[in-house]
Amino acid sequence: MRGLFRWSGKWWPGVIPLIVLWGFAAWTSTVPLENDLASRSSAALKGAVLDKTSIAVDGRDVSLRADAFSETGRRDAVAAVDGVAGVRLVNDQTRLVPEAKPFVWSAERDVVRVTLGGNAPLPALKGRLVEATRAALPGVEVADQMGLARGAPPRFEDAALLLIGQIGKLKDGKFTISDSDVTLSGMARELGGREALAAALAKLPDGFKVASNEVKAPPYIFQAYKDPVAVTVTLSGNVPDENIHAVVVGASSRKFFSEKVVDNLKNSVGAPANFVNAVVPALGALSRLSTGTLVVSDRDIKISGDALYDAAAAQIRTGLAKDVPQGWQVKAEISVKPAAAPVDPTVCQQLFSDVLGKAKIRFETGRSDLDRDSTGLLDRLVEIAFRCPTANVDIIGHTDAEGDSAANQVLSQKRAQAVADYLVKAGLPADRFTPIGYGSTQPIASNDTADGRAQNRRIEFVVR
Amino acid sequence: MAFLVAFHWGWLAGAFAIGLAMGWIAVVHRAPAVSGWLTWLLGAIAAALVATAVACWVPGRPGYWLELLLILFVPYLVGCAIGSWLRALVVTRSMRRRSAA
Repeated sequence: MRGLFRWSGKWWPGVIPLIVLWGFAAWTSTVPLENDLASRSSAALKGAVLDKTSIAVDGRDVSLRADAFSETGRRDAVAAVDGVAGVRLVNDQTRLVPEAKPFVWSAERDVVRVTLGGNAPLPALKGRLVEATRAALPGVEVADQMGLARGAPPRFEDAALLLIGQIGKLKDGKFTISDSDVTLSGMARELGGREALAAALAKLPDGFKVASNEVKAPPYIFQAYKDPVAVTVTLSGNVPDENIHAVVVGASSRKFFSEKVVDNLKNSVGAPANFVNAVVPALGALSRLSTGTLVVSDRDIKISGDALYDAAAAQIRTGLAKDVPQGWQVKAEISVKPAAAPVDPTVCQQLFSDVLGKAKIRFETGRSDLDRDSTGLLDRLVEIAFRCPTANVDIIGHTDAEGDSAANQVLSQKRAQAVADYLVKAGLPADRFTPIGYGSTQPIASNDTADGRAQNRRIEFVVR
Repeated sequence: MAFLVAFHWGWLAGAFAIGLAMGWIAVVHRAPAVSGWLTWLLGAIAAALVATAVACWVPGRPGYWLELLLILFVPYLVGCAIGSWLRALVVTRSMRRRSAA
């Protein structure tokens, strides 16, 4: 042992090659060692839920920079790297992901893309939201501008996925979750989209509530076009349901007595309230025009065209606004059709007979009040009467044989008078018209059948 | 430590070889020996370096290089000791044989 100690005094020259060896070892092994530690540290963090992870190795010291989503997760990540064989020190630069207050997430749709913004609580959920959006809207670009933050409300994922499922109903607009408040704005893709959206939102997870739903639907359009050349009335656009569809088509058939009704309507939800009570009077106004267009957009009614005479134009302008329900706006752009050339009384008679051959003037049952469906027909009679200013006309009322004959005579007289009053109100001189009531004394068909009785109830115009 | 040994076994073997050679030579070498007090001084420096390495006072790459140096010294010294002991055995045996003759 003493010898060993004595010899050790002479071991120092070997230190020189040892230092050279050390220099080579340091020169060649440092980078491979650092790479080895970096790859094994990354592998150790594979299962950890972290964001913005970066590992820098200097010698055997590892600097770990990462955003963790919980304190436990943060500590586990540091411990995992510390446990990697060969790591000397872990320079802990991890931090917790900042907590968002309020926690806001949004999905915004425009013409070409859906942009997901705000914050997601976890990277995996962020990926799921993007995937769900792609699945909900195949072919639409999805822009992920979501950050990551803590502080999401419970069941955030369910709420966000529900909203993503509804984003296809928007043409453009934005869904936002702010803590537990859901805000919606924009324009629905289809009529009824707003209602469908509201129904879907009823399934929001507990704790979430709709703070505001300002999604607008596209305008609810109904159109009618009276074409005097084709002798058609074309109905297009939307009606709320099958019943109202039938009511509108039925009213059109009665009001447009000589035109063919072309029905291009489709049934769609989302109609404004009192739709039918606004559209039917508007169709009545259109029936009084020689040519015209009716456009109902939400609660705005726009009617334009040519009335048959001056008074009719004035009546339509002022009358329609009173006839439609409250809250509806009427814009009437009515001009007057140029007066047709005057004709002989015999031609006038022919014209009266032609018109009254196509349709009959209708009254309320058992009364002498003119049915509103006959206004268009009456305007045509007024127009003819203006063309023969010299002709005097007997307006003759007839009834069927039902009921008391004296009462029928009075009723027929009153009905003839109501027609004469209408003509006078239109601006024709009262002295040209003589209302006469014949009751049931001059039937043109059998009173034994309903059809015959209907034919017997009539108004005739006889030019003297 | 186990990691360092596994990672650098080639270099450690080299250091051991140098030590073995140095120990073999040292027995018959006529070079001046390190004086007693200098031995103690070198020992103290070595202890200080070991303490520094164990306490991780030198950060990053320099820290690693220090560890590498110290860990290379271990097989070197072991090699020296074994080399010297073997040479001493050989020398003693040959001296015995010569004196017997």
